[in-house]
Formats: sequence, C-alpha cells, structure tokens
Amino acid sequence: MLKNYKFLLAILLPFFLIQTVAAQSVKISGTVTAKSDGLPLPGVSVAVKGTNNGVQTAADGKFSLNANVNDVLRVSYLGFATQEITVKQAETNLQIVLQDAPNSLNEVVITALNISKDKKTLGYSVQGLKSKDIAEAKETNLVNALAGKIAGVQVTNSQGDMGSSRVIIRGETSIGSNNQPLFVVDGVVVDNTQYLGTNGSRDFANGIADLSSEDIESVTVLKGPNAAALYGYRAAAGVILIKTKTGKGAKGLGVTINSNTSFSTVNILPDYQNEYGQGSNGKFSYVDGKGGGVNDGVDESWGPALDGSLIPQFYSNGQAVPFVAHPDNVKDFFKTGVTLNNGVALAGSSDKADYRLSYNNLHQTGIVPNTSQGRNSFLLNSTFRLSPKLTVTTIANYIKDDADNLPGAGGRRATSTMLQFTWFGRQVDINQLKNYKDASGNTFNWNNSYYSNPYWLAYENTVGQHKNRIIGSIELNYKIFEGLSANLRTSTDYYNDRRKIKVAYGTNGTPYGSYEEDNYAVTETNTEARLQYTKKLNNDFSLDVLGGGNIASNLFEQNDQVAPKLAVAGLYTLSNSRDPLVSSNYYSNRKTYSYFASAQIGYKNYAFINLTGRNDWSSTLPAANLSYFYPSVNGSLILSEALDIKSDVLSYAKLRGGWSKVGKATTAYQLQNTYNFTAPFGANPQQSLSSVDLNDKLKSETTTSAEAGFELGFFQDRVHLDVTAYNTNSINQIVTVDVSPTTGYSQKLINGGRINNKGIEVQLGLTPIKSKEFTWDITTNYSLNRSKVAKLDDEGRLQSIILGTDRTVQVLAALGRPYGTLYGNAYTRDASGQIVIGANGTPVINPTKQYLGKFTPNWLGSINNSFTYKRINLGFLVDARFGGSIYSNTNRTGTYTGVLASTLPGRGAANGGISYYYPGNNASAGAVRVSGSAPAGVTVYNDGMVFKGVKADGTANTTILPAQSYYKGFTNVDEAFVYDASYIKLREVKLGYTFPANWIKSIGLQSATLSVVGRNLWIIHKNAPNIDPETAFNTGNGQGLEDLTLPTVRNIGFNINLKF
Amino acid sequence: MKLKYITIILSGALLLSAASCKKELADINQNPNNSQTAQPDYLLTAATKVTADTYWGTANNMDASLLFVQYWAKIQYTDPDRYIYSNSAFQDLWTVGYSKSIVNLNQIIKLGDEQANTSYKGVALVLRSWVFTLLTEAYGNIPYKQAANIDQYLTPAYDTQKDVYFALLDDLKTAQTALNPSGKAIAGDVIYGNNITLWKKFANSLRLRIALRIADREPAKAKQVLADIQTEGGSYISANAETAQFTYVDSPNQNPISNLFDTRDDYRISKTIVDKLFALNDPRLPVYASPTKDATPQTYVGIPNGLLVGDASNLGFTKTSKPGTYFLAPHAPAVIISYAETLFDQAEAAARGFITGDAAGLYKQAVTASLKQYGIADAAIATYTALPAVQYDAGNYKKSIGEQKWIALFGQGLEAFTEWRRLDYPQLQPAVAGTLSGKLPVRFIYPGTEQSLNGASYSAAVASQGADVLTTKLWFDVN
Repeated sequence: MLKNYKFLLAILLPFFLIQTVAAQSVKISGTVTAKSDGLPLPGVSVAVKGTNNGVQTAADGKFSLNANVNDVLRVSYLGFATQEITVKQAETNLQIVLQDAPNSLNEVVITALNISKDKKTLGYSVQGLKSKDIAEAKETNLVNALAGKIAGVQVTNSQGDMGSSRVIIRGETSIGSNNQPLFVVDGVVVDNTQYLGTNGSRDFANGIADLSSEDIESVTVLKGPNAAALYGYRAAAGVILIKTKTGKGAKGLGVTINSNTSFSTVNILPDYQNEYGQGSNGKFSYVDGKGGGVNDGVDESWGPALDGSLIPQFYSNGQAVPFVAHPDNVKDFFKTGVTLNNGVALAGSSDKADYRLSYNNLHQTGIVPNTSQGRNSFLLNSTFRLSPKLTVTTIANYIKDDADNLPGAGGRRATSTMLQFTWFGRQVDINQLKNYKDASGNTFNWNNSYYSNPYWLAYENTVGQHKNRIIGSIELNYKIFEGLSANLRTSTDYYNDRRKIKVAYGTNGTPYGSYEEDNYAVTETNTEARLQYTKKLNNDFSLDVLGGGNIASNLFEQNDQVAPKLAVAGLYTLSNSRDPLVSSNYYSNRKTYSYFASAQIGYKNYAFINLTGRNDWSSTLPAANLSYFYPSVNGSLILSEALDIKSDVLSYAKLRGGWSKVGKATTAYQLQNTYNFTAPFGANPQQSLSSVDLNDKLKSETTTSAEAGFELGFFQDRVHLDVTAYNTNSINQIVTVDVSPTTGYSQKLINGGRINNKGIEVQLGLTPIKSKEFTWDITTNYSLNRSKVAKLDDEGRLQSIILGTDRTVQVLAALGRPYGTLYGNAYTRDASGQIVIGANGTPVINPTKQYLGKFTPNWLGSINNSFTYKRINLGFLVDARFGGSIYSNTNRTGTYTGVLASTLPGRGAANGGISYYYPGNNASAGAVRVSGSAPAGVTVYNDGMVFKGVKADGTANTTILPAQSYYKGFTNVDEAFVYDASYIKLREVKLGYTFPANWIKSIGLQSATLSVVGRNLWIIHKNAPNIDPETAFNTGNGQGLEDLTLPTVRNIGFNINLKF
Repeated sequence: MKLKYITIILSGALLLSAASCKKELADINQNPNNSQTAQPDYLLTAATKVTADTYWGTANNMDASLLFVQYWAKIQYTDPDRYIYSNSAFQDLWTVGYSKSIVNLNQIIKLGDEQANTSYKGVALVLRSWVFTLLTEAYGNIPYKQAANIDQYLTPAYDTQKDVYFALLDDLKTAQTALNPSGKAIAGDVIYGNNITLWKKFANSLRLRIALRIADREPAKAKQVLADIQTEGGSYISANAETAQFTYVDSPNQNPISNLFDTRDDYRISKTIVDKLFALNDPRLPVYASPTKDATPQTYVGIPNGLLVGDASNLGFTKTSKPGTYFLAPHAPAVIISYAETLFDQAEAAARGFITGDAAGLYKQAVTASLKQYGIADAAIATYTALPAVQYDAGNYKKSIGEQKWIALFGQGLEAFTEWRRLDYPQLQPAVAGTLSGKLPVRFIYPGTEQSLNGASYSAAVASQGADVLTTKLWFDVN
C-alpha cells in the first residue's frame, strides 16, 4: 500500500510547490437563447476558458459567474456552435444567442478522461447521442438504445425481453477476449461484464444495463484506439462515455417527474404447421405419455392428421376425443409484458453548490409467464465550490436490481422455454396445461418422457437475481494558477450479484430437483491524479498539456453452491440435500499502475496536433514484460478556415488523421499451471492438472490503428458529411486456443495472432426543410468493416481457434478468413455441385467439415427521419444489417420434430407427397412408387419424398422416403440450417408533443412533454426463416449461433415528462 | 521555471515507484484458487475415476460399443443404433483419454521418479497403457510418441497401431519392474486398494491381452511377450476377487449407467444377446436383463438393434426389457480386466500354440469364472458347461472363445467391440435400419476437432490408415 501513496505523492507534490497569483474578479450574469426559436437554453456550459471555473444555464437560460477582466468566456452546448466572449467588465444582462449547428465543427465533445474538447481539434471520429435519444427509447437494457444510431456501432440484442445485449465498435479486434467497448460514466470505469453463471439457463443482463436511461445527459462514442488511447489497455475496442445529468444551472428547486409505461409483445415466432399432431409414422394414441400408448412418449409432430379423428389424448382420461389443431398454442403461452418506469429528480444550484438527486423505479413483467424484474436506483451528483480555486464533485449511484424470475433460455430441459415448443405436439391445447400440477402435486403434461409442463417450468423452476451496486466517485479540482489545474479522483464500482436457481422436485429429467446459489462480488477501483496546463503561447500557437497517473484495481469473487438433489420437495436451502453439496469458489485480484500524458498544440485555431502516451504496469504479466508503453498522434486541419474557402455552398471542411497504439494485458493468474481439486471420491481427494496450458512468457497485446477522415458542411450546415476510413491491426494477441487434446491439454494460452480490421464509416446529415414551423432532418449512418485473421500462432501450426460451438457447428477465427467463420457439416457434392445421396436415400455428410459463412455483417446502415412541426415531433429510425450468416437450431430441431410449416411439403397427397408401398408390407425392402394401382394387400402411403441429388454412381436419386425420414435425414447437415442474417428493421418510431409554456405555467409547470415510442415494431426484411436473425446466446465472441432462443419483442411505450 | 520542478519531481518519483511496484504486482498475481503442487495419490484417484467414467459412460459405451456388439439397443432416439453419428460423437474418449487421463498419469510417473517411489510409476504406466489401448482400438492410428508433451508438440503426429502396441508392451515391461511390493507404499489406488502384487498381475494380464491383439499380425512378437512373462515368473489375475475393476460408490460418485437411468429411458437389452442367452438357457440372462414391466409371453424381451424411431418405441416401453439391475445399480463396477477374460486369453494363447496348456480346460475354467462372477450356483454351472453348444470346439477355437467371451464381456462395450472384431465371432447381423450399406461399424471416427486443430497429422493418419469412416478396418482386425 505504501507504494500507492508514494505514487500519488509524486503527482500531488507539485500542488504545494507552486505559488498562486491573485487576479481582479467581476460578476457576469446573462441569458443564453437559441437562435432558431429564440427560446432560452438550459444546461448550456458557460466557462472561463482554460479553467475549471464554469456554470450551466438554468431552465430559463440564465447564468451567473465570476470572471476576471480579459478572461475569455466559452459558451458551449451540444448541438450548437460554441461562442467565445472576452470579458470587458461586469455584466448584469449579457444576451448570448447560440446558433444551432447539429453537425457543426464547433461542437464540443467529451473525450478520453472526461475532458471536453472542441470537436474541430480532434484527429479522430467521435459521435454522440443526447439525452432524449436515450431516454425516450426507454430500453430496459441501455445498450439497445444505441442500435442503429451511430455509424460503426453494432448492437445485438441476445433474446427475449430481459436479456443481455452486445455492442461492438468497428468489428472485433480481439480473437479471444472481450471485444466490447469500455464504459465510463462521469469518469468512473463501470463494469459491463456478463456473468453467465454455471449452467447457462438464463441470459443474465450485462453490467451496464443497470444504468437508468433517465439519468443520462449524453453518450459519446469514441470509436477505437485512436480516440481512446489515453484509457489504456481497455480502449482497444473503443469507449462509450456516459455523462449523467447534474444540477448545474438549476434555479431554485427544480423538480422533474417522468413516467413511462410500455408494453412488449412477441415480435416473431416460428411458423408452425397445423396439419399433423404428435406421434410418429402417422400414429398416436395416449396412455401414459411415456411410451405406454402408441407413440405417446414421442415429443415430435409426425403423428396423425389433425382432422378431428377421435384419439385418446393427455387430458381425456382414455376417452377418444377430436384430434385437432391449436394453431396459436405457442403464441398463447406468451403474455404482453408491461414495464413501468417512474422517476423523480430534484436539481438545485447556488454559488456554493450544484446538486441533482434522482430516484428511478422500474418494474417489468415479461412475455414469459411469471417472469419479472425490477430496479430501484438513486443517483446523487453534487459539486461544491469550496473556494474559487477548489471544487469537489461527488457522485453516488446506488442501484438495486431484483428479479424474482428471469425467463428460461437455451436448450436445457428443466429450464428452457422455446425448447419445449420446438419439441412439441402441434395438437396440444396450451389452455389444458395451465393447471400444471395434478392433485398430488405431480407435473401434469402432454408428454411425460422428457418434458415438464411449460407452466411448471415457468412457475416452479425459477431463477432469481438480486444485485446491489454502488458506483461512486469523489473528485477534487484545484486551480493552481491561471492555466494550471490539478485534479484528483477516486472511484469505485462495486456490486454483489446473488442468484438463486431452483429446479422443483418432480421436474421431468431432474426428479429430485436441485437448488443452487451463485454469488458474485465485483469491485473496480480507480484512483487518478492529473495536472493540466493550458497556455496561449502567442498569437498563433496554443498549448494544452496534461499528465497524470492512475491506479486501477479489480477484485472478483465467485462462490457457487449446489444441492444437486433435494431431500424434500418445496424447500430451497443448501442443507436440504440428498447428495453432498457441489461447491466452488474463485477469487481474482488484478492491479495496474499507469502514467499518461497528452499534449495538444494548436495553430491559429485551424490546425491542431494531439500527442498522447501511456505506460502501464500490469500485475497479470510476467515480471520481465509487465511494463509496456504506447503512444498516439493525430491531427486536424480546418481547411475552410486555413484556406479561407468558406462560401454559401461550402460552410466548412475539415481533414483529420491519426495513428495510435494501445497495449493490453490479460486477466489474473495466466502464467503458472496449477492443479485443481474436485470433490473427493469417497475418502479420496481428487486433484488434476488444469486443462489450459498457461504461459509464463506472456507479453502485452498491441492494437495499432490508423484512421483518416474528413467532414464537410454545405449550405450553412443543412448538409453535413463525415467520412472515416480506418485500418486496425491487433497483434501479439493473448489467446486461449483450443489445441488437440492429444497434447494433454484442451487449451493453451499463447501470444500470437493478428487480426486486421479495415472499414469505412459515413455519416450524412440532411435538413431538407427548415422553416420557422417545420423542420425535417435526416440522419444516415453507414459502416462497413472487413476483418481478416492474418496470423494465429507464430509457428504457423494453428489453422483456427474456436470461438463458440453449438452442436456440431463451430465459430472459428480461421487463418486467412474473416473473424467469426461458421464451420460445420456440409453436404457432399459431386463435381457439378449436385448433392450426393446415400443408399438409404438421405444426403451423405461430407467427412470434412466446411466453412459455411461468417457471423460478421458486410455492412450496417440506418436512416433516421425526424420531423418537427411546431410542438409536435415525429421520428422514425430504420436500420439494416447486410451480410453475415447465422446457424439456426430452431430450424434444425423444428425440422427434426416436424413442428415447422416448412416440414409440410410431401406430408400427404394434398401436400404433394408421392404414393408408395412396401413390397409385402416389409419396410426393409424399400419403398416402391405406385404407378397405376398398387398390388393387392399392400398398404399405400402418400407421404413419399425424394431427396434431390445424385447417387454415388452419378445417376439421379430415386429413393422414396417417408416425409418423416426425409426431413430427419438432413438435420445433421449443418449447412442446411445456415442462413443469411441480413435484416431491415423499423427500429424506432417516436411521436412527441411539447405543451406550450403559457398553457402550463398556470399550473406551476416549467415544461411538459408527452411522447409515444415504438421499438422494434417491424422486421421489414429478413432471409432467415422462423427466427429473428438479430439474436444470440449471450454477449461473447461465439456469435452467429441461434439455439432455441426466446423470441424478440416489440415495445410500445408512453412517456410523460413534467418539470416544475 | 515552475514546470521544470514538476518534471524533475515527477520523473524521480516515477523511477522509484516503478522499480518497487514490480515485486508487489508479481505477488498480486499468485493464484490463490488452486494448488501449484500435486500429490501422486490425489492425482491417481482422479485419473482412475475420470477414465472409468468415460470407459463406462454414454458416448463410448451406451451410445456406441454396447450397441455395436448388440448387448443393448435403443428404444428412442435410435440414430446411434442405426450408425448415424456426427463427427463430434466420439470426442469424449479422445479428450478424456489424452487431456484428463494420460496427462495426469504422466505427472504421477514424474512424481514417482522424484519421490523415488517406483510403484507409483508402475501403476501409472499400467493405467496409461490401458488408456492407450482403448484409444488405438477405437480409432486406429493415434498419437503416442508425441502425445501429452505440449511444450514440444502442439500438433502431435499419429503413430501406427502396430507401433503403439509395441511401445505399450515395452511400457508394461517397465511397469512390471517398477512395481515393487516391498518398496515404498502408494495411496489413492481405488482399483486394488494400494496392493502392488495385484497391480503386477494386472500388468501381465494386459500384456497377455495385447499379445493376442497383435496375434494375427505379429505372432512371433506375441509369443515372445508371453515367454517373457513366463521367464519373469509373472502371474495373471487368478481369481474373481482379483478382477481389475473400478467400483462406484454413492451419488454423486455413482455408476454412470445408474446415473443415466435415473432420468432417461432410452435403452433396452438387445434381442441378439437375449436370443443367444435363451438358446443356451444361460443362467446369466436374469442378471443381464430385467423382466419386462408388463407381463409378456417371455419374461425377458430384447429389441432388435437399429430400428426406425417409431418402430422401436412401438415395441412398448413396458413390454421390453431394460438391462439387468446388476448393471443399473449405483455401486456397479466398471470392469477393466476380469478373471474370466485372462482365462479366455490363456485358452486362446494355448490354442494358438503361444503357450503350452490345455486350451479346452482353460476355456471351461473361463466360462466357469464368468458364471461365478455373477454368483451362479455350482450346479447350474455344471449343467451349463456340459451343454454341447457351450463345449469347446478345438476345430474352431475362435468361434467357441468368441461366442463365450462375448457373453462374458457383457457390459464392457469397448473390450467386447474389439474382441468381436478380432475373433469375428459371434457373427452379428447389421442393425435393421442401419446406414452402412449392410455393414457394422469396425472403428470410431476421429473427433471432428482434430481436423481443425491437428489437421496435418490427422490427414497423414487418414492417408495411412484409410478413410475416416466407421467401416475402415484397423490394423489388428485381420479379415
């Protein structure tokens, strides 16, 4: 610990060595208004340039601060052109009019380390979102609100209405480790890990989903290492900076109330067939649901036609009852989810302090019966001006998540939702299952071989999650003398996540049930000190330098205990166990020391060069390699000003470019192989070598990136174009690679591998109509990324690294191919490309696995149209993803079980089935097509199909198969279930109304808005049948796999926002 | 100049703290979760258990070899019984064999050398040799020389089956020397309770087994091995109490078959073995099969192997026999080498003239030992062994031994699969709706991951051995 203090002392010492100079102070008061509508602008930053002395305007646009004569006041607000005003004397009513500039060069953006900069000075691409873009979307998982809004950012919503979401900026840069960006909230590094837990039965939300969208003022996306180099090892995948609302500039006690109610419904379900019910070979009769009757243990729909024939069924106590379709039996299981989101915020400001305190409550009931989650969050953000030189800012965010039961996902019998319906009898009336227990408490179900009643799973086999999280920071700002300021901040993100996983006694497949408690405690602490010096060197040159240090520490603890078989039913405790408990725990500790520095040199306000450098010392690397340095350089040139080529057509032109390098360490304990203990065998302890061969010679990973771009504004900003091209190489990657088990290990940790990502991002903003009453804005984003795995191991022995697996399909980083190729079983084809059919009439699987596509898209695009007419605004966002593939196990399994409508062709004469018979009624003799009339005495079937292809000898295949055998005959061919994952979605439609001030003033309101927001309303186009191609198991790197995931949802929400 | 001071102080402090933080950072990275050292006894228990679990478990036994040799059949999800497999179906034996079993046994050998406890080395070599035989007999050519040595070989080359067998015979000879009943004691042995004398018998019985495996190809070598054993004064497993087996205990360490039957109902006994036991009026039938749940014309009803899904389940779950409760019990053992097997092996060695001995007498002792293994009374044994159909046929020793050994090895799927391929008896008919054009599987296919992870070695193995399909015959399997 002593070393930590020493380290900080090194940073702080200069504070005390330096004398300060007093200056003449005057008071400036005034109002800021928008030029477009003349209305006062709240929240505008008014600050003395080069200092931390600044305020924000109140709801009425008013502000007041002290400054020195000849100080320059900077007046800036996101979306408006920044103004600079030199202080001449005291002012009591300074009128400042800001020009709207939605894409202006003069925009102020937040950059690394939470430092605000003029966008024009930056040599890299940043893109931001404002409060209302986030808050109105009201996504329970914040990440989803980014979808389609920022060029180069890809969001994948895993599944259902309560799951995780993955966000990727500019493609995957890391083979094996996290590819998601770093999240920083008000300068605090916030954990976004998704802890999947031990049995994968729930899609637990990723960490950042805890933030309440109502508290967010802005989101800034730093795309890739060029922008984020100062953040160090975690910046390789970009940074998402979130700024929460503050009380700056509020007058009196400002109260904001926000209320949202939204409804979620299932967006897409598989297209089921409704002509054939449960059974096999066209036969079914129920006795006990586990093979006692005719095919009544079969959980597939290859049974008799749903023609009303009288057949004993699961609910009929042996009586023969009509066998009929229930087309909506899956749809009817799902409910309308309801989310209530209510918040209140108090904000105030005085000479001495600003504060904002908010409380938000969220309660959501899901589309799956008995699922719900809730969140209570408190955020206090306060700044105290202790003296003209010293300010203290504290942020405390307490979040309590409580979910009694999250929806069952994945393919596990005791928990999954969609698994139940993909192995299903299409005749089942879901209403007959609602009473899921019989009189003696046993599960009552349509099938007793494998499944429990879906309502039993929903109500009895629950997974609860309770999470307490505190994100807090305290920050001291000290102005040492004019131009030099010191900043010290310490922050912590701590959470405790407790999960209770219940499987009820009597669940089919788990007769004794089970109970598990899985607990996580995660802490990230950052302490950072820095000095910043700003100086105008002469009329031409300005200098802005910064230096500092950071200590980051990460602690992680997991404790998991399972009672694998309960002793008695209904009691969920760890001691209620028949077998010894299965216990495990894991502890990890990681620390990183860093020094960093940056400098910006400006020339005549139109040419800028930025330099950064950072050195990290990471505990996770071997002593010889634990220190690594990485620099970056970028520059921008405002051509329109430098060459003075501004005209009515061309408003401005900017060129920018840069190169950067980012180093990256790894997770704890990756150097020395260890021996693990497993539960004893009788009285004998068991110990074995870990299955990953670790590496005591690890080096840091390096990502280098070059990017160049330009921004053009035309017709006074009515047209704005921003284009970026980048090329990123990630080398020396620390990757856990799968190795042949014959090496004695299943995986090995290596330094190696190089991925190249190149891409283009285009943002085009248009304002086709702009009048006093009506404005039409169009914002389009387009991005294209091409990745290539250029190298795996240094020796060239590895051809691929497995990123994910589903059944026999693997997702690979394969040499010479794009990141994330799908690899699996394919058809065998002859020279002319015809599918080769075996003697049994089904396709022959190619003994060599084949590349079946890649999960990464070719390009992403979006168009947002926004119309403002007087006080009404309407916006709709369409986003698209083109290219990339997905393997769908819903399609595979549904084909095997005959529940999908796609298995209808050939099933019966009406569906085009071939009529055939077996000579002598001996099925082994092979089917013979009926031509004319069949021989006497044989049974004729009408469900014959012939697989299109050629036999081994090259002649056309003629083998007739019953439809059931036909469809099952290619379900091991993965190629048949890989689909194009392209889609076009109507992502968001917003309609809002702002009440006129004079109406509401009388009831004491400052402002009132009403809005209706629809999310994910319509999948306009897709090529993958039966599923939403935008789906995944989780947020890991093994994407492009769909495995009986929950249906995605559409939301319609109603917002009311009142300010008092 | 104020800035100059800052620079000097900063850089001074930087150097100081950078140097002293290295040690602190290294200390933080000491893994507190696991042990950095190992104990041979704990490794031995774990390696034995993990090997037994895969040997007796679903992928290799219940869903593969027990079906191939028609001990069991599937009543649901009949794809494996029809020889329909994905190339990930046979991953388990490969992965567990190399990366859980062999690698840890190598650690025991290393620790045995370090602690000058040669018996640990001997025990580990015997177990390792057994694991290698399971691997080569399932897949054919496999990595041996370059296996489990990741520092040198990231993509181990495959050795031919002949080379593997020859190397194992050398290893077992070394093990025989290393196993020292009067040396330092071992612990953690859950097969023989740390009895080194019995391990010496296990080692020799395994050498005998391997000698017969190569008998059709390398008779001279086989004969030499058996002569060596005799010269060393070695003996074989010589009583049912000495059978090498792994006996399971209570849940969660119960027998994998018992564990599976707790929750699933996919398997029935095969019609082939039931018919054979009926034909011989074999007293082991009630041990191998359970009575049908519903009364049926016969108490024990097997189902044909490899029916189509509907055809199989239509036979009725309650009208067909599950395997016998002896095999479904939580504590049921996973048998590695039985006393009966060593007797059958000696009978065959005698019949082949590798050793001197009375083949017919040894054969009869073998049948007797098998019946006694399941507690059959002496009178019933006498009746059974007197049956003409059970009597040794010197004119066709492969048939006599093959058929009786097949009955005796019931449950030991992998071993029975190998012996059936080698002896070509009993003559089994392919699955009803089999997909191998009228053939039966004669090997496992390599796990699909070898193609992506060890491609060049895999391709070389396939080029040398033949297509990577179920029907490619292995080196030992002549005819």
